[in-house]
Amino acid sequence: MKVLLSWLKDYIDINETPERIADALNMSGLEVEEIIQPGKNLNNVVVGKILSRDPHPDAEKLSLCSVDVNRGQPLQIVCGANNMKAGDKVPVALIGARLPSGFEISKAKIRGIESSGMMCSKKELGISEEHGGLYILDESAEIGQNIVNALNLDDVIFEISITPNRGDALSHLGIARELSAIFNLPLHRDPLGDEDGEGHVAEQVAVEIQDKDLCPRYGARLIHDIKVGPSPDWLKERLEKAGIRSINNVVDVTNYIMLDIGHPMHAFDYAKLAGKKIVVRPAGKDEKIATLDNAERSLDSSMLVIADAEKPVAVAGVMGGLHSSVTDSTTSVLLEAAFFDPTSVRKTSKRLALMSDSSYRFERGTNIDNVPIALNEAARLLKQIAGGRPVKGIADAYPKPEVLRQIKVRTRRVNRVIGINLNPVQIETLLLRLKLDTRRDGEDLIVSVPPYRHDLAIEADIIEEVARMYGYNNIPTTLPAITSVLQLPTPLQKMEKRLRDHFVSCGFNEIMTYSFIPAAIDECFREKKPLMLQNPLSEDLSAMRTSLKWGMFDALKRNILNDEFNLRLFEIGKAFHPAAGGLSEEHSRLCIGFSGSADPKDWRRSAEAFDLFCVKGLIQNIADLLKVKVRYAPGSCSVFHPAMQMELMVGKTPAGEFGQLHPNLLDNKKMPKCIFIAEIDLDKFAAAIEDAGRMKPIPELPAVRRDLALLAPVTVAHRDILKILTTEGKQLLEDCYLFDVYQGKGIPENCRSLAFALSFRDPKKTLTDEEIQPMIGRMVSRLDSELAVKLR
Amino acid sequence: MSDSHEQLLKQYLSEKAKASNTADLEGLRVKYLGKKGEVTELLKGLGKLSIEERKTVGAAINDLKNQIQSSLEESMRELALKEQEARLNAEKPDHSLPGTWPTAGSLHPVVQVAKEVADIFLSMGFFMAEGPEIEDEYYNFEALNVPSHHPARDMQDTFYLESGQVLRTQTSPVQIRTMEALQPPLKMIGLGKVFRKDSDITHSPMFNQMEGLVVGENISMADLKGTLAMFVENMFGKRPFRFRPSFFPFTEPSAEMDIQCIFCEGKGCKVCKGTGWMEVLGCGMVNPKVFEAVKYDTEKYTGFAFGMGIDRIAMLRYGINDIRLLFSSDVRFLRQF
Repeated sequence: MKVLLSWLKDYIDINETPERIADALNMSGLEVEEIIQPGKNLNNVVVGKILSRDPHPDAEKLSLCSVDVNRGQPLQIVCGANNMKAGDKVPVALIGARLPSGFEISKAKIRGIESSGMMCSKKELGISEEHGGLYILDESAEIGQNIVNALNLDDVIFEISITPNRGDALSHLGIARELSAIFNLPLHRDPLGDEDGEGHVAEQVAVEIQDKDLCPRYGARLIHDIKVGPSPDWLKERLEKAGIRSINNVVDVTNYIMLDIGHPMHAFDYAKLAGKKIVVRPAGKDEKIATLDNAERSLDSSMLVIADAEKPVAVAGVMGGLHSSVTDSTTSVLLEAAFFDPTSVRKTSKRLALMSDSSYRFERGTNIDNVPIALNEAARLLKQIAGGRPVKGIADAYPKPEVLRQIKVRTRRVNRVIGINLNPVQIETLLLRLKLDTRRDGEDLIVSVPPYRHDLAIEADIIEEVARMYGYNNIPTTLPAITSVLQLPTPLQKMEKRLRDHFVSCGFNEIMTYSFIPAAIDECFREKKPLMLQNPLSEDLSAMRTSLKWGMFDALKRNILNDEFNLRLFEIGKAFHPAAGGLSEEHSRLCIGFSGSADPKDWRRSAEAFDLFCVKGLIQNIADLLKVKVRYAPGSCSVFHPAMQMELMVGKTPAGEFGQLHPNLLDNKKMPKCIFIAEIDLDKFAAAIEDAGRMKPIPELPAVRRDLALLAPVTVAHRDILKILTTEGKQLLEDCYLFDVYQGKGIPENCRSLAFALSFRDPKKTLTDEEIQPMIGRMVSRLDSELAVKLR
Repeated sequence: MSDSHEQLLKQYLSEKAKASNTADLEGLRVKYLGKKGEVTELLKGLGKLSIEERKTVGAAINDLKNQIQSSLEESMRELALKEQEARLNAEKPDHSLPGTWPTAGSLHPVVQVAKEVADIFLSMGFFMAEGPEIEDEYYNFEALNVPSHHPARDMQDTFYLESGQVLRTQTSPVQIRTMEALQPPLKMIGLGKVFRKDSDITHSPMFNQMEGLVVGENISMADLKGTLAMFVENMFGKRPFRFRPSFFPFTEPSAEMDIQCIFCEGKGCKVCKGTGWMEVLGCGMVNPKVFEAVKYDTEKYTGFAFGMGIDRIAMLRYGINDIRLLFSSDVRFLRQF
């Protein structure tokens, strides 16, 4: 909200600097986002009078003007605008002037003709966003006068962001009230308008409220003989500086009252109100209304409308109707000031997707006592600036006058919550600055809440007011004297931390991708039908991810398109699955992505590309690290190459999968063939963590090592050979691992060579060749007979 | 020592001075002390002398022999060391070649900052709690004193799922879940992703928040100030801070905490929009209505809560100018941290 310092001075004699005022408001909870001083950068712009306007000889769209700026000879200025004529007064930027946009005026030749200055629009002066040609000044402007003085630009505008609880601060009066509390200055300006007028309102209009809860008060005032037309400059200026476009004197007055005391108003064309009657009622089921913004709105019975004898004429508190609006031919105006239930206005506004300055304020709560003040003040202004003749009195329907809210505030509680030590008198003094009347109840206080402070409902709210006035920065700093209940990290939390550190050590970069992904991704990335957002930012961010694989795929691909081919990425995050009752389940996942070579920066070895066994090795590595027993089973995930993937099992449950991307997903030439993704279900891992168990004694006797080089048909699996070796080795075979696989020169076709290292040990005695040799013999003969695997 | 002995010693010494390697020394050893060496020959000549002379001359020759021998041994050791050093030095590779252990990766910058923030609070006796990203409206709003149809809902533009659940707009629901599960006294922090319908260079539809809650008997706003002062001092260094009144439905009184701008030290710059201050977190005393929602005794217990945007702190810390970079997965960005 824009607040004018000059306007605040109607209420409070404040002589602080703009910076100090802004600072004080900030420290009071009304955040000043910007201090605008429109006149600050406008030197050398003066009032000029156009003496003549001729076409530019060489340019159809330009004019050549002679402009008197009361500085000797008139200036010759070339101008591209079209809305001026000889005799108009306009702002003229002289040579050397600098406009708020930073543009500096210098002598220039435009299409061959010298131009000594520039005539300006409102936008060029930085006082309005409005385009639309030159700013034609009032005739009374003094030629040659500095524009800052001529337009009263020597003002300060505060752009204030007001939190939703402080509806009371959405006006100049509200801000002035706050400043009066902060600086302890008196607040003045009593209402100037009164109920006087001709005839009596009761004879000319009737107001009926059908729903007292949604509209506790509705006031109307009638004014005849109005001449609708432009507003005087002072009014236009104030509105425009506050960011509201001037429409006509009647609409401007209603807006002015809103900005002044915070009460939204509406003006009806009295002649268009059927039956000269106002009925505040719920809308009928299929009722429609064309609103001021020229849109037809369908109403329903949850919405409150203002109706005449026949039809709705306004959506209560949100927007007026087009039909009954004030036009140039209006002569009698019915002014509305009312109090509408905040929740009802908000619901209606949301349902119609229609926001207005009025609904904004009603939603946040207005001052019910302001109804007559707003009407009388508006009547006074319309009499003054539009020649109106007010009818005496207000048609004020106020069936159940509001009683001031009383809140009990305990001195002990105030001190306990804030951590200070005030006595009741000190608290009273602080509250009084905010115009909160109190009465003593022993050591405690009963606070009467003014009708505009809708945010003050419970004791804690008053405690905040005490703290604000005491000054947050005057409160001491201490540390809580409690010891929290103990909550150790969960196994999952511990595991995630461990994994992060581990992956970083292994050269992986951690990524964080959105929890929502495009609705239209390749089906293969979907584990389940995804949960969909009702109101996504875009189609691309509309489905909750059911796995982390797509995000990883997308991350790998985008990096590859940036010519980053060697990638090791990981992400830890949630996958979302639908659950019973339309609800959701969240699964913690780890996703790993690989592309390129394991270590491209090793200059001794040729960079070897990642393969399925690097990934399997890494998975085994983290399973060992976390002490989770895993098994590998054939995989069937359609993201992966059908032959280059495995499923990871923890016990009997699948706990993840990994593999090489399916060739069909490599939809860009830059993408290498071997891209791998692994995804692990961390919840299942966390549940399967095993204890390290008891220590085994360090063997005292030496082990005997034997290498076996085997020649196997390629169809024989490593697993099957290993099984025979371990069964025959019994307890004596302490370790047995594959250390070489070779296929090619010197090896028969369809065969491969597998070399195993076997290590035997008997904890009780040193093994001899005689004991081992027969065992190896049995291994070799079973390998041969069962698998056709021979000793090389 | 006779002149001839002295002559011999001199001769030996001058020859030894010329010896440049252990082989030269070995040659000298043979020449003087070998079977037919000059000193050996002298000893052999002793037989021709009388017993008296033999005693004195013999001793003199032995002395000469010992001198040469120990001199040779010493030189031998020295040269052997030198030769070894030369040999080892000859093995020297090009030290400027890069190391070949696999390069380290990087934690996401937001995770790094979150860890830093969390570590401070964990050291102060807080525990870490978590909650779901998809929340019931009750936990995200109602229990936090944000009724439906309240303008406070405009503070956060919410994503709704088709089920009517929401993507949590704040980590504050973690407070509710924690209080439902545990009784005071408690000091918790909650960390996680939150979602708001907003996207530009300073807003991302998904970002990260850290939430804190302290509940006990006699917890005051002074405790809130002291705790958060300790946090900002450890996070940003000792610098001025201030608390400004603000509004959050779940706290009353509510405040925002500013620290002196870390870029201009309070002089005013582009980052702090000339104010010299930077907002780091929102906080306040837990609204009794929130305690009512979790059935805590509002008379017995008071508490404070706070919340901060981790992404924003990461952006300040690392000078990141576009929040969307954080979620871009771009390794050219990630490798910098």
